[in-house]
Formats: sequence, structure tokens, C-alpha cells
Amino acid sequence: MKGLTKNLVLVLAIALVLVGCKQPTQLISDTKAAIEDVTKAGADKYAGDELKKLNADLTAALDEVAAQDKKFFKKFGTAKEMLTKLKTDVDALKAALPAKIEAAKNAAIQLQGEAKTALDEAKALLAKAPTGKGTKKDIDALKGDLVGAETTFGDIQKALDAKDYIGAANTAKSVKEKAAAITEQVKAAIEKVTGKKK
Amino acid sequence: MKTLSKARGACLLGFLLFFNACKTPPAPPEAARVEALGQELWRAGASFYAEKDYTQFKKDLKNGKEKLTQENAKYGWFRSYDSLRIEFRDIVRRGEDILAKIDELKTSKARACAAQASALMARVDRLKQMTDYFNENGPVRKNLSQAEIMLSKAETLIRKESYESVEEDLDAAARFIKRAEQSMTSLLGRYMEKGQLEKWRKWAEETVAESKSNGTIAILVNKLERKLTIYKKGAVLSSYVIGLGRFGLSDKLYSGDEATPEGKYHVINKIQNSPFSKALLINYPNEEDIKVFALAKKEGLIPVRAGIGGYIEIHGGGKDSLTRGCVGLEDKDMDVVYKSAEIGTPVTIVGAVSIENTILAEIKKFEKND
Repeated sequence: MKGLTKNLVLVLAIALVLVGCKQPTQLISDTKAAIEDVTKAGADKYAGDELKKLNADLTAALDEVAAQDKKFFKKFGTAKEMLTKLKTDVDALKAALPAKIEAAKNAAIQLQGEAKTALDEAKALLAKAPTGKGTKKDIDALKGDLVGAETTFGDIQKALDAKDYIGAANTAKSVKEKAAAITEQVKAAIEKVTGKKK
Repeated sequence: MKTLSKARGACLLGFLLFFNACKTPPAPPEAARVEALGQELWRAGASFYAEKDYTQFKKDLKNGKEKLTQENAKYGWFRSYDSLRIEFRDIVRRGEDILAKIDELKTSKARACAAQASALMARVDRLKQMTDYFNENGPVRKNLSQAEIMLSKAETLIRKESYESVEEDLDAAARFIKRAEQSMTSLLGRYMEKGQLEKWRKWAEETVAESKSNGTIAILVNKLERKLTIYKKGAVLSSYVIGLGRFGLSDKLYSGDEATPEGKYHVINKIQNSPFSKALLINYPNEEDIKVFALAKKEGLIPVRAGIGGYIEIHGGGKDSLTRGCVGLEDKDMDVVYKSAEIGTPVTIVGAVSIENTILAEIKKFEKND
């Protein structure tokens, strides 16, 4: 009986060692699928840095698997731990993603507001600008520029409606910069004739 | 005792069988490398930069993994990874080639995008100069403004190396620039019409010939070149840069259109103390202008209540400000013109006399910008 127990323990011990010799292929597949899912959900746009880290972690886990595969006594325990933690991180990112997208949306709307303010400021200044000798030509040209900027402003809402919050933010930023440039040019034109900064 | 020995033997046999089943040939290490390579390609943007090759790579990877699974399912003694190793090595080689290709593509894409943005900006700058020159502040200016916004967006993306979206913005900028060029061509289209140029050239030649044969002073205004030339006895005496009406390049049709008229006129009054320094009043509208006005009114081409206008002068006050259709000069230049002219001095105003003009050459370049 004692001998039987010894043998059973021996077999069990060896089996335990050898069980660790199997690659965690299912865990690898599940983790990769989870990363693909979160990418499709918009992580590449709205959580780019976090997604890069997750992919780097996956590469590290796969490298660990590859390293163990070359050995006679393979131990995939570390790789499994890495993959399990990674899967948890991916799930956490997936849970946090809606909030990040909402934040991007709010940031885009904020920039839209700032672009509108900049356009209104340019418009008001142009309306007040003297159009006598020396300024009429410049002021008229800048009015034409403002029409272009105002037309592009409309694209911001289209992008927001299409849920392209990064695109909307980029357009808003560029419109705001253009409107600010127009304002500066109007001031320069006025200064040219009045000799005073307004 | 006997039972114990049998059990021990069975355990040992079982162990040997199990051990041998696990003591298989090692799975090809290339398989793990291929997996990692797939990740690298994904991160490098292979689906954007090398879509076709990447799709094939993924397909080959999938096939390889399926074959590996099948091989792994076999009992240890019957497994052989030899052909699979060759296959995976080939996939690794192709994957690495794709990575190298993507690196090259990214570098060349960065250069190409920057070059394209720079070329588009140069076109915007040239067109803006033309709008300054021609006092254009309508569709050309609007489209240029939109193009500048797109280029600003593109530059931000180039800095961030987000080349997937850059091309969209560069294409949009190019479209706006094209529209601006088309508007500019439309504005100046009649300056390239052979018949119109001939007509203007004839007026200019007749005026100079008259000056020569009569031994008198004549004034020729070239709107496109923004130049007023005084001729004496058919030879150039002096030339001056001028300003025009807000829509000076158009031929004046009615009061308030802010265009500068074209035709053969003469000085009918010299005004010493004009609001614009000195001034020479010309006989706009002449007979031809009256005929054209009547026809345009009949055809409904001008506002119903519009009159034909008048009080077109050559005056001082500066060449840079926009007139309401008059020809403007710097005061010091106007002093000379005023002194040279008499009542009756011919004043001929033409659009252009030569198609070789620099501005028109620029317009012709638009056709090549497709």
C-alpha cells in the first residue's frame, strides 16, 4: 500500500510537470480576440497610448511563450500569468472606453465653441473696421477669407454627427486658428491707417 | 506483495507511455515568431500600408496554425514538424519583408505628403497674390481660405505621423485650390479671348498712331498690367502704376458696379482741387457705352433702376485704394499726368494688349494643376 501510494505520487508529480509543457494557445487566442474587439470599439482612436501598451505586453507574452518553447522542460506558467493579466487589462480598457469616447466628444464640442467665438470676434472686428483709403482692399479680402472659414465651420458639426470626434476636434482647431489669423490681419490693416493698436 | 509489484509495474508503464507521448519533437519556434510578427505588422499599420500583402500573410498564418494544430493532435511518436518549419520560416521571411516595405513606405509617404502640402501652399500663396492684385474677395478668396484650413489640418497630422488621414485633407485642399483657380480663370477669361484682345490691341494702336500723326499727347490705360502710359508724338513719355475700381477688371456697365470702363475716351475737364488731389474727368459714357447699356437693360442683365453712371476720372489719392471705377494714381504721378493732359487729350482704356502677360501665363498654368 505504501509502495502504491509512492508510485501514484510519483506519477502525479511527473504528470504535473508535464502538464505545464502545453502552450497556452487558447489563452493567446482569447487575449488576441479581446484586443481586436477593443480596437474595433475605437481604442485605436480614443485610447491610442493604452492600446499600444497592451500590444507591447502581448508581444512580450508571445516572446515568453517562444522562449519557453525552445526549452526541454517548458514552463508556461509565467506566460500564462502575463496573458491573464493582459486579458484583465484589455477588459478594463474596454470598460473605460465609452468614458474616453465621451471625453473626446466633449473636447471636440468645446473646441467647436472656441472656433465659433473666434469667428464671431473676427466678424465683429471686420464690421467695425474702417473701409476708407488704405484699408478697403485688405478688409474686403479678409471678409472673403472669413466666408471660407465660416463655411468650413459647418464641417465640424457634420463630423460630430458622424461620431468622428478626433476629426471634428482637428477641424475646429484649424478653423479657430484661421479666425484668429484673420483677426490679427484686420488689426494690422487698421493699425496701418490709424497708427494705433486696437 | 505480488499485487503491489503489478501495480508498481502498471504505474511505471503508464508513466513511460505518458512520458513518451510528451517527449515529442519540439514545436517549431518559427510558429511563435510568426505570431509575434503578426503583432508587429498590425502595430506598424500593415492593413493601411501593405493591405494586400498583409491579408495574404494573415491567411498563410491561419493555414500554418491549423496545420500545427493538426500535427499537435497526433500521438507524439507520429508527429513531424519538418515541413511545417519550412512553411513557417517562409511566412516569417515574408512577414519581415512586409515590415521592411512598410518602413520604406512610411518614410516615402512622409516625404511625399510634406512635398504635396508644400506645393499646394505655394499655389495658395500665388493665388492670394493674384487676389490682391485683382481685388478679388469673392469665391477665389473663400476657396483659398478653406484650402488653408485643410492644409493646416494636414500639417498637424503629418507631425503626428497619422498618414491615413493626411491624404484626405490634402485632397480636400487640392479641390478647394482647383475651385479657386477656376473662379480666377472665369474672372479673367475674357482677357484670353482672341477677339477681345484684338479689339483692345486695335484701340491701343490707333491711339498711339493718332498721337504720332497729330504730334500730340495721348493716354493709354492697360487694366491687366495696371499701367497708365503717356505718349507724345507716338513715343512713350512716361508710365505709372495705377489702381482700379473694386471690380476694375470688368468693363463698366452701370452706375455702382465699381468696374472701370473700357473704350476710347477723351479728357473733358481738368479738376485742380478734387477730393483726390487733382483729377481728369473723361467722357464716360461714350456712344458705345450707351448702346451697350441699353442692350443690357433690354435683356435684363442689369438692375432695373440702375443708371449708366458717370464721373469717371483719372485722379490722385493713391494707387492702392479701391476706386468706384476711376483710375487712381499716387499724387506725385497724378501731378505729372495732370500737367501733360489738355481738354481733348485722348484717353484709351483697354483690358490687355498681349496674351504673353505674366498674369495670363499664371492663369494658363492652372490647367496643368490637375
